Amino acid sequence: MTKRARTILLASVAAAIILVAVLLLLLRKKPAGFEPELLNRTAGKGGAITEFIKVKLFFVTETSLYLQPVLREIEVPEIREELYKKFISLLLAGDSGHITPMPGGVQLRSLFYLDKKEMLVLDFNETLSASFPGGTTAELEFIYFMVDNICYNFREIKKVKFLIGGNESKTLAGHIDLEKPFYPNFAWLKDT
Amino acid sequence: MKRSTKAGIVFLAILAAPILLPSLSVNFRSFDHPGYTRVVFEADRSFHFAVQNRPDRLEVRLQGRADFPASSLEVQNSQMLERVTHEVQGGESVFTVYFKGPTTVKKNFVLEKPFRVVFDLATSEKPAVSPRNDGAVSPRNDGAASPRNDGIDPPPSAPASTGKSSEPVIDNPPAAPARPKPIETICVDPGHGGEDLGAIGRSKLQEKSVTLKIGLKLKKLIESKTGLRVIMTRDKDSEVSLNTRASIANNQRAQMFISIHANSSFRKSAYGSETYFVSLQATDPESLELAQKENRNNEDPGEAIQSDELKMILWNMAQTEHIRESSKLAEYIQHELNELLGTRNRGVKQAPFRVLMRTAMPAVLIETVFISNANEEKKLQSEEFLDKIAFAIYNGVSKFIYYYNNLLQ
Repeated sequence: MTKRARTILLASVAAAIILVAVLLLLLRKKPAGFEPELLNRTAGKGGAITEFIKVKLFFVTETSLYLQPVLREIEVPEIREELYKKFISLLLAGDSGHITPMPGGVQLRSLFYLDKKEMLVLDFNETLSASFPGGTTAELEFIYFMVDNICYNFREIKKVKFLIGGNESKTLAGHIDLEKPFYPNFAWLKDT
Repeated sequence: MKRSTKAGIVFLAILAAPILLPSLSVNFRSFDHPGYTRVVFEADRSFHFAVQNRPDRLEVRLQGRADFPASSLEVQNSQMLERVTHEVQGGESVFTVYFKGPTTVKKNFVLEKPFRVVFDLATSEKPAVSPRNDGAVSPRNDGAASPRNDGIDPPPSAPASTGKSSEPVIDNPPAAPARPKPIETICVDPGHGGEDLGAIGRSKLQEKSVTLKIGLKLKKLIESKTGLRVIMTRDKDSEVSLNTRASIANNQRAQMFISIHANSSFRKSAYGSETYFVSLQATDPESLELAQKENRNNEDPGEAIQSDELKMILWNMAQTEHIRESSKLAEYIQHELNELLGTRNRGVKQAPFRVLMRTAMPAVLIETVFISNANEEKKLQSEEFLDKIAFAIYNGVSKFIYYYNNLLQ
């Protein structure tokens, strides 16, 4: 092989590698999840700054197998866990035209975030299990409604564990094991 | 320093070592798994030991004195073990694990950090007594490579011995691995029951009564058409916990577990049938990883994790060995439901069902149709429709039996 031919060959290989790298960069999958957008800052009395963020909530609908997105704003409190509480209360409040997959009267008793485990623990009142309508699909709808919404909007939360009345519960209504934490399954969400 | 002085110091140090070293602290634990029991001796440092296995007991002899929580320890709720005793004989500590019936060591290996000697025990059909093993305790030398005997090799990638601990010698042939048998027993599990009504339809039809009817019809079909033994987790309107349901199937050595349910959704329009087998990853990859590590220890001890938490995880994951067959069983049943019911095919799915995780056999959960859907609830009130469901499940089951039994040939 002549020197010129070798140079051409090396240049072609280098060009091919660069092309593949650029293609991979362009086609790489965006990480799942949603970075809450900071909407605005307002100065309150005494100069205190209040921040608002935009979050994307997903609700069950009668017409689709997937959870459907709805955008909302939340005021950001100083304590991170207070933000999670506000977010959960938006989920519990529901959205007109959509289904909130849980029985009426369900309330969040408390929540806490375990930094090292990147896990959010939600403690609901006993109405959740006592009034749960039953059915595997209903259980999965509730579980992934909560877990996907939380993990989608707050990337620092990797998994969610449910307590009922302050205690671990075996299942919601006799099907899905509730003692272990749940990781998100974004296949339930419409726009992922 | 003269060479003779150095040698003298080393000699004295060797002599004094057993006195200077604190006594060994040994803990014992055991775990029941489907088909075998794992026994673990854990110590705060490595130790030399020899093993003797007899049909009624396993003796582990340690050089030197060892601390043990009790001189005799009853083993609660073990499928194979009765008790473990500890005594000091001469310069040795002897631990003896007594079995409930003829038992043999299937595998044994050593793990590090912390130091553990692990035995997997299986029941032997007949007492496995080797004429040359009576009373044979093999003395071991420090770091000496010793020939293994009778095929009880450690798994191939067992951590290398540090040289401080000796490998055990077990003078007993291993039990032949349990050979899968053609399907003889099937467990039918009608969901819910008693005070647990299950889902309730708009016209107040209760899931528990539908599942019982289908379950009894299915039992009758299987027994009359195949002659196989069918056990029911409930045959009347009674409440049975999920753990008990799995235990009934496991204890009766069922080779297939069919859980029957009627579905419900917050979407009132949801309809169709679906068949589930267990999903382990959906809930907790960490638990799965732990369980897989421990399961690999059957062949590859690697880094073992021994804890009550793990015991629970493994109990929760009795199903891991049967996932492939469960998936096949689900496919067969779902196909038949589609053919016979003419409703929407929601497919074969996976989810972490508590009852399925605990069954040690191919296991599926069938969500026949939606009791929360007015139209399908009405269908569930018809005996003819329930007959169709039972027949579809029976067809799926019989195809799986054919597939499974062929695999064994």
